[in-house]
Amino acid sequence: MTASFDPTAPRRGAVHRVTLLVVAALIVLPWVEADKFALHILSLIAIASIAAMGLQVLLGYSGQLSIGQAAFYGIGAYTSALLTAKLGVPFPLALIGAGVAAAIASLLMVPITRLTGAYLAVATLGFSIIVYLFIQNEEWLTGGSYGFIGIPRAELFGYVLRDPMLSYYLNVGVAAIVYFTFARIEGSRFGRAINAIRQDADAARASGVRVTLLKSECFVIAAFVAGLAGSLYAHEVRYLAPNDFTFWKSIEILIMVVIGGVGSLAGAILGAAVVVGLPEYLRAIGDYRMLVFGAILIATMLFGEGGLAALCATLVRRVGEVSRRLALKLPPRNETAP
Amino acid sequence: MNTSAHDDAWLLEARSVTRRFGGLLAVDAVDLAVRRGSVHGLIGPNGAGKTTLLNLVAGVHRVSSGVLRFGARDITQHSSARRARAGIRRTFQNLKLFGEMTALENVAIGLHAQMRAGFFDAVLATPRHRREERSIEDRSMTVLHFVGLAGVAHVRSGALAYGHRRLLEIARAMVARPTLLLLDEPAAGLNVTEAAHVSELIARIRDAGTTVILVEHHMDVVMRVSDEITVLNYGRRLAHGTPAQIQEDPGVIEAYLGRSGENEGAQA
Amino acid sequence: MGALSVSEFVDLMVGGLAIGCVYSLIALGFAMIMRATNIIHFAQGEVMMLGCMCGLTSVWLLPVLPLLLVVAVGMASSGIIALAMELAVYRTLRRRRVPIMNLITATVGMSILCINAARIIWGSEPLRFPELFATTAYEFGGVRISPQLFWIMVMGVAIMGALQLFLKHTRTGLAMQAVAQDPEAAQLMGANLTRMMAYTFAISGMMAGAAGIMLGSMFFAFFEMGFITGLKGFVAATLGGLGSITGAMLGGILFGLIETFSAVFLSSAYKDGIGMILLIAILLVFPSGLVGLWQKRR
Repeated sequence: MTASFDPTAPRRGAVHRVTLLVVAALIVLPWVEADKFALHILSLIAIASIAAMGLQVLLGYSGQLSIGQAAFYGIGAYTSALLTAKLGVPFPLALIGAGVAAAIASLLMVPITRLTGAYLAVATLGFSIIVYLFIQNEEWLTGGSYGFIGIPRAELFGYVLRDPMLSYYLNVGVAAIVYFTFARIEGSRFGRAINAIRQDADAARASGVRVTLLKSECFVIAAFVAGLAGSLYAHEVRYLAPNDFTFWKSIEILIMVVIGGVGSLAGAILGAAVVVGLPEYLRAIGDYRMLVFGAILIATMLFGEGGLAALCATLVRRVGEVSRRLALKLPPRNETAP
Repeated sequence: MNTSAHDDAWLLEARSVTRRFGGLLAVDAVDLAVRRGSVHGLIGPNGAGKTTLLNLVAGVHRVSSGVLRFGARDITQHSSARRARAGIRRTFQNLKLFGEMTALENVAIGLHAQMRAGFFDAVLATPRHRREERSIEDRSMTVLHFVGLAGVAHVRSGALAYGHRRLLEIARAMVARPTLLLLDEPAAGLNVTEAAHVSELIARIRDAGTTVILVEHHMDVVMRVSDEITVLNYGRRLAHGTPAQIQEDPGVIEAYLGRSGENEGAQA
Repeated sequence: MGALSVSEFVDLMVGGLAIGCVYSLIALGFAMIMRATNIIHFAQGEVMMLGCMCGLTSVWLLPVLPLLLVVAVGMASSGIIALAMELAVYRTLRRRRVPIMNLITATVGMSILCINAARIIWGSEPLRFPELFATTAYEFGGVRISPQLFWIMVMGVAIMGALQLFLKHTRTGLAMQAVAQDPEAAQLMGANLTRMMAYTFAISGMMAGAAGIMLGSMFFAFFEMGFITGLKGFVAATLGGLGSITGAMLGGILFGLIETFSAVFLSSAYKDGIGMILLIAILLVFPSGLVGLWQKRR
């Protein structure tokens, strides 16, 4: 994470250049690779990354381990489905409505934010189980185990997004907005405060920081964003079943954040790409998918908590180092500069 | 009970304050009166209850009985964050810095409660956000200059030398210009030169208008910079007076010398 | 609603006590590990499940195996599995002093690993235990009790009693308690911290294994059984006061009774939800559990 007030501009410039490159690539991609299925997968990755970025704010920034994000994802999905399919609400309103519904539900969690560590984790887990039971049992509302069918496609300004390329732009667009929104938190009073809470909540309190209030804010933000993701998901796959919103979904979101690197927004996106994309490209994994992810989770804890993001950063730095030395025609060195 | 100009002289009063932990009486009916604008030393042998008393003033522990007054207000039931916002700041004996953040960012947290910019201000880069960030940066750099750490403002606090980390704790507590500053062993582990620097810093803090309660084991620091000293022993107030008076007090001498043998191996 | 007949009441009582014993054994494991390492062992339910599966497998291989040996096999296998987790992963992480969040995440990863390994090995269909108990009901003064539930209660109490004896009257047990209370002091007295930690995991694993066999024979065995039951065991441990072994035992029994009796009055679809709501309520209102309340009164 870049420091606030830090005058080291060169680093910032490099990050900006890379970001612009990536954004440009994402915009151009559908014209290069128009395969419908590939675009659908990329849409799913974008949707997952939104939920993952929400958890990143919770876990990576404010240090709260929540394994209940699937609850808000589910609330968002079903709310959006109900609003559009049953009440004829236009999609953009349903999208926001989904986020708002999830955010309101998260207010129930506010008392829980007093808890820390594993207690908090278990409480969020309990909450998400209750939500799951509700989704499964209230058939009149959600269709229960029979599922919720007939969800309309997303539409903007009256234009239905039938082409996978258009829904790709929608999903990637929302993901980009979420990314750039959260990126602005880091060098701010809010960002520093929640970071401080993560590192030492008592010291933060002694400095006058309203710890519980800020922790709750993070929950609401993460829930809102998970709700958005849920809505996008509902209109992308157009069919919902309670099984999509179990504890396992919460765990998947956690895995995305951990694999990508706790604390890194870009990592959350990378993690989402791996968790959603990898099984598609390694069909052989199939059944072993969760097994592999469990192992990766443990391995990441044992060998490198920076996750993929840290790995990429190191790689980029090494490559930059090597190319600089080559350009200056210097002999290779064993140790990288501090 | 009697509201006179005389009471205005006392910034912090602890009246018959007691704190029990299970069966242990850590602080036993202690009276403490800290004069506005003074440095008030709090000393005593290991286990005397000094840090506990400081924690009671800071609001980390609730008193088991007794009253705490800060200025005209009864703060006995107030939370520690509320007291922090009211102008009582503290440092920690075991250094609780935010290791991953730079020195400047650590100090910036000290100003959190004075500012208002929130999540939306950050995202939209509102004028309030920009204005407050500039103010935070200026004020934080000023206080870093004050303690002598301006040169390491952008260094990760976890990477700083121990002596600098102790100074940074003080800077973070000072940046909001607290009315009352609670220092918990600020010179712990410092060598003679560094300890002298801390004494001089505390004097400058007092001269700048902040009242200080100082818990310390370094006798030269306490004696040099305190205006008044309260001595605790076994959780009770043993003596109170100027440094000169305390150094002559037979009860204090006995408490320290008489216990120095037993203290070998006792926990800090 | 309405009043229950005596036999219905007895049925519920016995059922609640029996499942309560199961919860107690799992809760014990949570409590012991929490005391020793300060983490919630997310994979504890999976340790129970694997013990159950191993026990079931042993019965498949040797159908003549008597009940006690099946339980022994279950306990031994889960004890070993829990020990393996500690030796392979947790110990290394603790030695490196990683942040506690990482330890918790590692136990979550372990849980995922176990569940999916079990699914691959034993499939995703629920598996029935063969009859391990007599089928005709016992009669005690006009009241009929199922032998299965009766013996589960007896075994549960016996195992917990044995554990208490072990902890209070053997050198190793006392050393384990000392380490849990004050690791530094215990180490100065000669206790081997790493070995005590190993014992803690092994024993809590054994408790879980016994619970697994009991649960499996009461209902059935399947790869996800550890998840919800493990969570309920955690609720029981929290109810009793996390970190207290006696509390865990009492909490388990109490929770078993609460769950069984309230399922009568509430829709059974939300039966699992009872535990979750109770959990959140406890964490918020009295986090130190029953034991904490008891101590406050003194």
